[in-house]
Parts: sequence; structure tokens; C-alpha cells
Amino acid sequence: MNDKTKIFIPNETSANSVGANSLYQIIKNLIKNEEVEIIRNGSWGAFWLEPFIEIEKDGLRRGVSYRNTNLSHLNTLEEFFVDFAKRNPFDIKAIDFITKQNRIVFSRIGHEDPLNIDYYKSTKGYQSLISALKIGPQKTIDRIKESGLTGRGGAAFPTGIKMQTVCDQDSSVKYLACNADEGDGGTFSDRLIMESDPFALIEGMAIAAYAVGASKGYIYLRSEYPLAKDFLTQAIDIAVDNNYLGNNIQNSDFNFDIELRIGAGSYVCGEETAMMESIEGRRGLVRSKPPLPAINGLFNKPTLINNVVTLATIPALLLSDQSDFSQIGSNKSIGTMPFQLSGNVKHGGLIETRFDISLKEMVEGFGSGTKSGEPVHAIQIGGPLGIYLASSMLNTSLTIESLQELKGSVGHGGIIVFDNSVNMAEQAKFAMEFCVKESCGKCTPCRIGSVRGVEIIERLQRNKRSKEDANLLHDLCETLEATSLCAMGGMTPNPIHSIIEFFPNELIEK
Amino acid sequence: MAKDSKNIIKPFIEDKGGLMPALHAIQNNLGYISKDNIIELAAAFNCSQAEIIDVITFYDDFRLAPIGKNIIKICQAEACQSQNCKQLLADLTSHFDLELDETSDDLNITLKEVFCLGNCAIGPSVMINDTVIGEATTDKIMSHLKSDDTNKS
Repeated sequence: MNDKTKIFIPNETSANSVGANSLYQIIKNLIKNEEVEIIRNGSWGAFWLEPFIEIEKDGLRRGVSYRNTNLSHLNTLEEFFVDFAKRNPFDIKAIDFITKQNRIVFSRIGHEDPLNIDYYKSTKGYQSLISALKIGPQKTIDRIKESGLTGRGGAAFPTGIKMQTVCDQDSSVKYLACNADEGDGGTFSDRLIMESDPFALIEGMAIAAYAVGASKGYIYLRSEYPLAKDFLTQAIDIAVDNNYLGNNIQNSDFNFDIELRIGAGSYVCGEETAMMESIEGRRGLVRSKPPLPAINGLFNKPTLINNVVTLATIPALLLSDQSDFSQIGSNKSIGTMPFQLSGNVKHGGLIETRFDISLKEMVEGFGSGTKSGEPVHAIQIGGPLGIYLASSMLNTSLTIESLQELKGSVGHGGIIVFDNSVNMAEQAKFAMEFCVKESCGKCTPCRIGSVRGVEIIERLQRNKRSKEDANLLHDLCETLEATSLCAMGGMTPNPIHSIIEFFPNELIEK
Repeated sequence: MAKDSKNIIKPFIEDKGGLMPALHAIQNNLGYISKDNIIELAAAFNCSQAEIIDVITFYDDFRLAPIGKNIIKICQAEACQSQNCKQLLADLTSHFDLELDETSDDLNITLKEVFCLGNCAIGPSVMINDTVIGEATTDKIMSHLKSDDTNKS
């Protein structure tokens, strides 16, 4: 029996950004006996509560939000406990924001120290890897195919089919590349996995590598995530020490290593072919496809490329008693999706749920409306290349299919709320400006068309009725869509189309 | 005394695609990538200096000249836009009297923009070196810089 009192203080970027680290330093200095232990847990993903500090005593765990609170006046731990008790501690697992979710992939975040491998194992961690090693590569791939899992990075391609393609290549060397270049504005699900449950990613990578026959994996992590880098570095070392990575993993003949590669501030390197160029040590210029990376990818070898959440989903869906993952949803929108609610919203955070919930349930149910208290005016779904929906469209379901009908996409699951102070013509202009800044420069329409796009939208801002400019913008968007090698140029018009269609008279007046 | 750049590069030469980690390592140790470093990198990776410069200049993070001790990156992506990050950017450029990508004369501060720090639910967000600050204001940023100074001295 462990009757120590535990104090949980999250160590996670968002919690630290509003003071978790400083509070940890203060509380740590108050501890004078060994009856109290501080655990740096992950975040629960309910970011408006951060820094959310919990105390567990006699099996009861309760927490309090210490947002904008200075504790430097405290002299003793007893004073901290008194302060804590005064703030009406509650069980975070019982709040609507958490109970209304269906956390399968994100089931562990917040509970414990993310690097506590005993906790990971006690929650069925590494069981899927061990069972995959027993049933063999093909049966593992079959199970992923049957599950209906699609890529959570943005393109929603069926994961099992991609794995089969890599598996079928006759090559003695194959690679796995995990895309952790989570660059879409308004997204943080990959970061949260890497910081608050990194073993899930490592296990998912090991299973995927085993299934396709890869013995080397790369994680391409964006440089804007230094804490994720720390966690991954440590988690990889721990996994090696426990023989979940390295040679003869768990007494099998499977060998697999993971190398962490850090990006350098380029959005387009989240595009899979640009990412490969970057890993190979070159400019992040997009490659034309074919050949598919699955056939000829990294260092000219067959390469399985998946994003963080996709890979981290694999262990959970292979657990037999969680096979209900595949029972959720329909068509392409199978399983749960970790939506990330942010922007001008009261309760922002990580919301893992079935796809077929309405935008209203997301923004008003989970989000409790805008932070400013002003009416919602626009909601952008799916990152910088995603569409803006108007407040009259809150009944829209968040499935892949329903957003496709609106010429948008779920993308990586970012949902950004804007109140009525937003200027939609400025948002349209930003879509083009972002393309100017982040285009790799390979395709002319993306490199130069985006500059012309900014100019046209600036003219429209001065005269919304210019038919000539409206037509020019339309033609430019068509050209970008038809002639760009990758989604950067090809999908930059999406937010602009949506603003023209769903926000009449805000960019163009007819 | 800073570490010798040849020794910094060495561990990455045999790595496949080792140029990116080598560039990061040089910059982490020496602050920026100098002309001499470029010559050494070209020799080490068996390519032309132009090819090394080609890679360096593609990426926002790499720099060819010294930069501020404190790099302040102000997020300008959509979620922070909804939280008035443009106003914050204007406040900071006027507070420090610096343009974006400009470094103060005493090499203390460099202002940069960034697109998404993954802290989108509590924006506007700013990153000072490796520390992210949520619900950022000029005051918060100044007090962070001040406490950082106190901790170091």
C-alpha cells in the first residue's frame, strides 16, 4: 500500500505556458517530508483549467485550477493544502467536458507521469505490440484494414491499405517515417500525445514497422515543440532499456530503432514528400507523385509515412476489448477523432469523440461559446487549408463526408472559433499570405499566384464590387487547384471559396 | 571557449541525411552558421558551399548572422488571430522599437513571427527561446525576460 499524498502538477506545454512550472517550483520547495510526492503528470487537455493541480489522498483524487494564481506567499505545505481545500476541489474525470468524450486514443493523458512505463504497461501498454509479434505482420495489417482506420494527419487515406503497399514491396530496406510536423494553426493533438503519452506513439511505430518490415523509423518533429522533443528523447531511451525498441524486441527476431529528427520552421515540410527531402538533408521541396512514398520513399526505399495520432491509434485499436473503435461511426468516418477546439472559445482543448457530432455540440456543448461573450461569427475547420463556416451552419456534422460536401475537410481536426470582431476579407487575405510565406516555391501558381492573390484581395478590400477582381480571383484559385503538386497550393483556395460562398458581401459583393 | 565546429559536425557526417542535425548542432553551440562553418560543412558532406547555403536559406530557423540572446516568436496563426495577436505584435514591435526579424543593437532581443506553437486554446501565444507563454501580453513577456535575467545572474 502506498499511502503517500500525491500532488499532480502537469508538465505540458499549455499548462506550463500559464504557470505550471512556476507553481511546481514553489510547491516543491514547501515539501519537507517524504510523505508527500509530486508527480508531473500530463495534461487532461482541458486547457482553460490549466494549470490544473490535483491532490490524491486516501485514494481520492481532486483538483483545482490555479490559473492566474500566485502562490509565492505560501510558507508551508500545510498552507498550500488549506488554500487548495478552499478552492472547492473536484474530480476532473467527472466534468461534462471529459465524460462526454470517448477517449480511446487519449485515454491515458493526464493520469500519470507520461514517462512512467509501469503505468503505461498497467493500462495495457505494449500488449498490442506483443500480440502483433505473435500473430505476424499480415494478420496485423489485416486487423488494421478491417478497423477502417484512416490517416489522421489530414488526407484521411486508409491506413491499412498504405501499410499493405509498403509490406508488399520487395526490398531488404524499408523505412517508417512519423510525421510530427504538426503545423496547422489550431492543432495540438500530436503534441499532446508526444508530451502526455509518448509510449503510445512508440508502440504504434513499433507495430507499424513490424507489420511492413521496416527496421528503422524516423520521427520528424517540428522545432516549435521543444518539450515534446524532451519527452520523446527520454521515452525512446526508456523503451530501448525495456526492449520495446532495439534488437530482438521482446525475444522476437524483430529489430527496430527510432531516430528523432528536428525540423527548422517550415510548414510545407509537413507535406510528406517535402518531409522526406528534409530528412534527407535538403530544402523541403515537394516531390511529384508517383512514385508513391510507399513504393519509393525515403532514401529511395519503400517508406510508410503516418502522422503521430494515426500511429498512436494502432495500439488502442488492436486491443481486443477496444475493438469497439471500429463500431463507431460509418463510411470513412470510423472510430474516434481527436478534435482540437481553440481560438475564441471558453472551454478549449482536446476533444476525442465520434466524428458525427454537430458543430453546435462542439462549439456550444464542449466549448461553452466564445471567450469574449460575443456571438460566434466564423469557425475554421481543418487548419489553414480548411474552410470557414458561418454561425448559421452550426448543424453541420463533423464527419469526413459532410465536410467534403462543403468542399472542406476534417484535416487534422483543428476547429477555430472567431467572434463577430473577425474581418473575413482579412482571413481570406491571410490564406494567400500564408501561402506566400510557406510555399516551397516549386510550383509557379503556388509561388507567384499566392502573391497575386494577396494583391487581388487587397483590391477587393477597397472595392468589393469589382467584377474584374472577383473573376480574376476565381480564375487564380482554379489555377492553383489544378496545377499545384501538393495540397499547399491545391488547397489554399479552400478557405477563400468558403468565405465567398458562406459570408456573402464580406469579401465580394454581387 | 566555444566548441570546435569540426567536432560538432563530426557525429553527423556518416548519418544518412545528417546535414540538418549538423546545422542544428552548429547553431545550438555557436549561435549561427558562419562562412567558415559553411566551408567545413561542404567539405564534410562532400557537396558545394552553394548546396549548403541552399539548405540553410530554405528554413526559417537557420541564420547566417548572430541574433538576439532572447528570440521572441509571436504566433500569428489563425487561433491566435482570434485572440488579437496582431495587436500584440504591434504592441511588441513598438515596445522594443524593432521590426519583425530585427535584432536589438545590444543583441538582447530578436522579434520573429511564427505560425502555430500548438498552444491554441490559450492564445495569444508567444515563445521566448524554448518557453511558451499563453494568454501573452507585453507585461507577461517583460516579466518573463526579467525573471530569466534574475535566474541567470
